[in-house]
Amino acid sequence: MVCSMRRLAVAATLPLILAATELAAQFPTSPPAPLRLEPAPFPPFTDTTFASGLRLIVVTNPKQPVISVTLAVPAGSYVDPLGRSGLAELAAGLMTKGAGTRTAEQIAATMEGVGGSISAAAGSDFLTVESAVLLNDRQLAFEMLADVVLRPTFDNGELELLRKQTLSALALERSQPEAIASRAFARALYGDHAYGRRADETSVGAITRDDLVNFHATHVQPSQALLVVAGAIEAPEALALATATFGAWSGRSPTLPVGRPAPQRARTEILLVHRPGSVQSNIVVGNTTWMPNDARGYALTVANQVLGGGSDSRLFTILREQKGWTYGAYSGVTRGRQMGSFSATAEVRTEVTDSALVEMLSLMRQMGAGGVAAEEIERQKLTLTGRFPLLTETAAQVASQVANARLLGLPTDYVQTYRQRLAAVTREQVMTAARAGIRADAALVVVVGDGTKLAAPLAAIAPVMMVDIEGKPLVAGDLVAKAVTLDLDFARLAPAADSFTVMVQGQPFGFQLTSLEREGDGWRSRERTSLGPIIQQQTEVRMGADLAMRAIRQTGTFQGNEMKLDVTYANGKASGEGMTPGAGGRMQPVKYVDVDAPAGTIDDNSLQALIPFFKWAPDARFTVQVFASGKGVLEQRTLRVLGSEAVTVPLGTITAYRVEYAGGDAPGTYWVEAARPHRVLKFGPAGAPLEFVRVR
Amino acid sequence: MRSWCIRGVCALGAPLVPLVPLALAAQSPTPLRIESFTLPNGLRVHLAEDHSAQVVAVNVWYDVGSRNERPGRTGFAHLFEHMMFQGSANVAKAAHGQFIERAGGMLNGSTQPDRTNYYNVLPSNRLNLALWLEADRMRSLAVTAENLKNQQEAVKEERRLRFDNQPYTGAFVDSLPTMFDATNCFAYAHSIIGSMDDLNAATVEDVKAFFDLYYAPNNATLVIAGDFDPALARRLVGEYFGGIARGPSPPPAECTPQQATGRRAARRITDANATLPAVIVAYRTVPPAHADHPALELLSMILGDGESSRLNRTLVRDAKVAVTAQALYNPFGPMRGAGIFGVLAIANQGIDPDTLQLRLTREVQGAANAITSEELVKAKNVWRARTIFARQQALEVSEAVHYAAMYLGGPDAVNSDASRYEAVTLSDLRRVARNYLAPDNSLTLLVVPEGR
Repeated sequence: MVCSMRRLAVAATLPLILAATELAAQFPTSPPAPLRLEPAPFPPFTDTTFASGLRLIVVTNPKQPVISVTLAVPAGSYVDPLGRSGLAELAAGLMTKGAGTRTAEQIAATMEGVGGSISAAAGSDFLTVESAVLLNDRQLAFEMLADVVLRPTFDNGELELLRKQTLSALALERSQPEAIASRAFARALYGDHAYGRRADETSVGAITRDDLVNFHATHVQPSQALLVVAGAIEAPEALALATATFGAWSGRSPTLPVGRPAPQRARTEILLVHRPGSVQSNIVVGNTTWMPNDARGYALTVANQVLGGGSDSRLFTILREQKGWTYGAYSGVTRGRQMGSFSATAEVRTEVTDSALVEMLSLMRQMGAGGVAAEEIERQKLTLTGRFPLLTETAAQVASQVANARLLGLPTDYVQTYRQRLAAVTREQVMTAARAGIRADAALVVVVGDGTKLAAPLAAIAPVMMVDIEGKPLVAGDLVAKAVTLDLDFARLAPAADSFTVMVQGQPFGFQLTSLEREGDGWRSRERTSLGPIIQQQTEVRMGADLAMRAIRQTGTFQGNEMKLDVTYANGKASGEGMTPGAGGRMQPVKYVDVDAPAGTIDDNSLQALIPFFKWAPDARFTVQVFASGKGVLEQRTLRVLGSEAVTVPLGTITAYRVEYAGGDAPGTYWVEAARPHRVLKFGPAGAPLEFVRVR
Repeated sequence: MRSWCIRGVCALGAPLVPLVPLALAAQSPTPLRIESFTLPNGLRVHLAEDHSAQVVAVNVWYDVGSRNERPGRTGFAHLFEHMMFQGSANVAKAAHGQFIERAGGMLNGSTQPDRTNYYNVLPSNRLNLALWLEADRMRSLAVTAENLKNQQEAVKEERRLRFDNQPYTGAFVDSLPTMFDATNCFAYAHSIIGSMDDLNAATVEDVKAFFDLYYAPNNATLVIAGDFDPALARRLVGEYFGGIARGPSPPPAECTPQQATGRRAARRITDANATLPAVIVAYRTVPPAHADHPALELLSMILGDGESSRLNRTLVRDAKVAVTAQALYNPFGPMRGAGIFGVLAIANQGIDPDTLQLRLTREVQGAANAITSEELVKAKNVWRARTIFARQQALEVSEAVHYAAMYLGGPDAVNSDASRYEAVTLSDLRRVARNYLAPDNSLTLLVVPEGR
C-alpha cells in the first residue's frame, strides 16, 4: 500500500513539473516530491560451495578496476574458552603480523607498495580478514589473504607487543564511563551467555602462543567459512583464484560452544555502577530480542529509527533539543547470530539522571502503545530506505552487505529485497515488534555515575542493585566518607628529588620533575611537567608532619588553555576553586566548598611523591584514599605489585616491582625499585604511547 | 542470481579455468562519459552518468575562494560558506540539512583558495530535491544581520578551536601564505580562515555584494554524477536554475605567478601552544595544469607520504632528529596561479630548530639524486590506487570532474590526467627538484615554543 501511495504522488507531480518547465519564471515554493524509484539493481552475485564447505560469493561490479577479497569464519569472541576472553581478538590482530614467509613489516610494505591494504578483526560472532587492491594485483591479494588466514606465524614478539597494547587499552577503558557502561550492560544482559564475556587483564595476560595456535587450528576451518570477492572480476576467474589459493584448505567442523540462555527479566531492574564524583551519568537501557532471521526484524528496525536511530529521532529531539539534558541520545539494535538486542543510550548531567531515565522508558513504552503516528513512521522509513543505496555504493560495501546476510543465515534474497520489505512495514507491525523488542517494563538499565547522588532517586523508578566498577556489590554504607589509615613507612620519610624524561614511541617528548621537601613543621611536594604540545603544569602540595593535607596550588596550560587550581584542607573538609580540563579536554570551571576529605586522605597530586614510602613487598597491594582535587571528589586508588623484573633506565639496570596503578582517570603501570629507597623508575600511562623514564 | 555446484572438483585443488595472465599495462581509472552544457544565464553543467548504484551526487562549485578576497576582508569566502546554510526564500534556516538527511543523504561544503563547494549525495530518486535546494539558495539566499552575527561568532569559534589553540597550526595557517608577495599576489598571500579583525568587520552589505558578484549562475559550475536520466536532469536544471539572473562578470583574482624569484625568506615564529620546535620549508611551484605538476606531486609523496617515505626513514627513524616529518603538497587546496611544495618536521627533544632545518633542507634538496626507480614505482602505485578507489563513489567522481574543469582546462581532462602521472620518469623528478626545490625559491618557518 505504501508503493501505491508513492506512485500516486509521482503521477500527480509529473504534470506540475511539465507545467513548470513552460513557465520557467515560476520557481516551486516547496520541495519536489520524490521521483519514481526503480527496483534496486542490486549487483548480481554467484554463490558456490566447495567440498570443504567453504562458500564463495562473487559480486561482479565492473565500475572500476578494483577488487576486495574478504574471508569470514564463525570464530568471533563467543568461541573464546573460559578464562581466555580476548583470544579471538588477539588472534585476528596477529594474523596480519607475520604469515607465510613474510614478517609483519614485509606484509605492510608489500601492500603499501601496491597501494592496497589488508586487515583482520574479530567481532562477537565472526573473525574477518579483508584485502583491497587494484585489479592488477588480484593474485597478490588472494595469496596474501591465504597466507594470513591459513599460515599465520603468531610470532612471539608480535604477541607481546599486541598484548601490551591490549592491556593498556583495557586499563584505559576502566577510566571511561561509556566503556564501563557498555561492559556492565553486556555482562548483565547476557549473563552466562558467551556474548556477555569481555576480555580483561587476567584473561589477556593468560593467553599463550599455544592458545593462539590451538584457536587457529580449531576454529579457522573451511566448513563454515565464507569468501566474498567483489569488484571488476568475473565469477570464473574469481573461482579459479579462490581454488588456487584456498582449494586445498581442508579440516574438520569445529565443535562450537552451545550458548547458555540469557537471563529473562520479568520487570525492569537498574544496575547502578558507582563512579565516585562523576558529574554525569551514562545510561544504557535495553533488552535481548530474537534470532537474526525473525520476520519482526524489519519492523523493529523502523521502530528503532523512530525512537533513536538519528538526530531526527525522538530520543535526540526530546532529551537534547527540548529538555537540554544531554549532547546526544540514541538507540540501536544488534543482530547476533544467536540473539539480538535493543538498547538506548544517553549521557546526562547527574542532577537530571532520574528524569532522563523516566523519559527514556516512557518513550520506549510509547513505541508499542500506539504513540507514533503513521506519518512519522513513513518519514523514518524514507530515511532508512533512502540511505541504503549510499551503503551499497562500492564493491566492498556490497560485499559486506551480502556477507553479513549470508553469515547470519538470512534468506537468499535478503539483500535484494531489503528496501521493499522495509518500505512495506505497517504501523501495526511497528507496534507489535516494539512491544516484543523494546521492553520498557522488562528492561535492564545500567547507570554509571555517582552512587551517593543517584541511589535514592533511581530506587523510585525500579529496584536498584549497586556495584563498583569491578562489579563488586556495594551498599549505601560503603559510600560514606570514612577516615582511613595512611599506612606509610613514616620513619623513612626524607627529602627527595626525581627527574623524568617523557618518551613517546621511544623519542623524548617532554619532562617531569618531582620533589618532596621539608617546609616548616611539615612537608611540601612539588611537581613540574612539560608534555609536548599537550600540557605544562606545576603543582605544590603542602602537608603536615603526618602528611595531613593543608593546601595545594596548581597552575599551567592544557592544549594552550590556562588552567589553575587552589585547594585548602581543614577539619576533614576540602574547599577549592579553579579551571581544569574536563571531558573531551574542554576547560571547565570547578568550585566546591567543604567536601569530605577525612583523615588519612591525600591529595591525588601528592601520591607519586609518596610512592617510595609505601611498605613495598613482592605481593603488596595498597588502597589509598585520595582527594581528586581537580574534580572535588573522594576516590580510591590501588597500587598492586604484579611481579618483579629488571628495568633499564639511564641510571642502570635495576630490579623493580611492576605495579598496577588503578582507580582514577589516568591509570597505568609504575616500576618501583624493589630495594630501598624504592624510587619510581618508570611510569607508563594506560592507552597512551608515553613513558616517564627516570633520569636521576 | 546464478549458482553452480563444483563439489568434488575443487577438493582436488584443480582450477576449473586456467588463471588469466595478468595484464602488463598499468591500471587506469575507468573512463567517465561526460556530457556538458551551459544555460543561457551562464551556469555550466557537467553530467557524469553511471548506473552501477542508485546514488547521485549533486555538487556545485562557485569560482570563488580566499583568492578573491581583498585586504581588510580576509576570511570572507569561508564566512560566506557558512551563510549558505542559513536558509533561503523557500528553505528555512538549517532545513537544507534536514531535507537531505530525511531523504537518507549527506551534504557539506568547504572553502579553498580557488573555489567553494557545496555537495549533496542522495538516493537517485531525490535528484530533484538536491537541485531544488541548490537552486533556491543560488537565487534567494537569506542574508540577514542576525544570520551574519551568528556565523561571525561560529567562524571565530572555529578559528579559536581549530587554529589558535593548536600547536603549529596557527603559525602554519597564517605564516605559510607569506611565501607569496602580498603586493603582487594578495590572492594567495593570506589565510583562508582570515583574521579576527577582518571577520569582525564584515557587514551585511559586504555579504550581499559578495553574493551578487560571486554567487551568480555564470560564476558557478554544477556537476551531477551517478545514477540519473540525463534528459530528466537537463529538464530539472533548466526548470530550477534557468530563471536565475546572470550576474556581472567578477573581476579576475590578482596574482602574478612567481616561481624562483630569487627571494629566500626565513621567519622565526613564537608559538605559545608548542613545546617542541618545528620547521616548515615551502617552495613555490606551479598550478596543476602545468607539465611539471605530476612530477612535483609524486616527488612530494616519495619524500613525505607514509611510513616508508624518505623523510620518515631518514629524519625520524634513523637520525632521530624529528618526532615527525612529512610532505604537504598544496596544503590549502590547489591553486590556478601557484603551487606549494611544503615539508614539515617537528624537532626531537634537544634538537634545535636550526639543526633540524639544515637536515630537512639537505634531505629535500638532495633527494632527487638519491631516489630509486622502486620509489617512483611505489609512488605511482599509491597515486593510481587512491585515484581509482575514489572513483567508486559518486561524490568523488563529481569532485574529480570539477577539479578537471577548474584546474586542468576542461572536464574531459578527468580521463587523461592519469597518463601524465604514468609518464613521469626519474629524470623528470631530478629536473623538477633542481628547478623548484632551490633555497632561493623557498620560505622557511622556524616555529619556536614560547619562552625559549
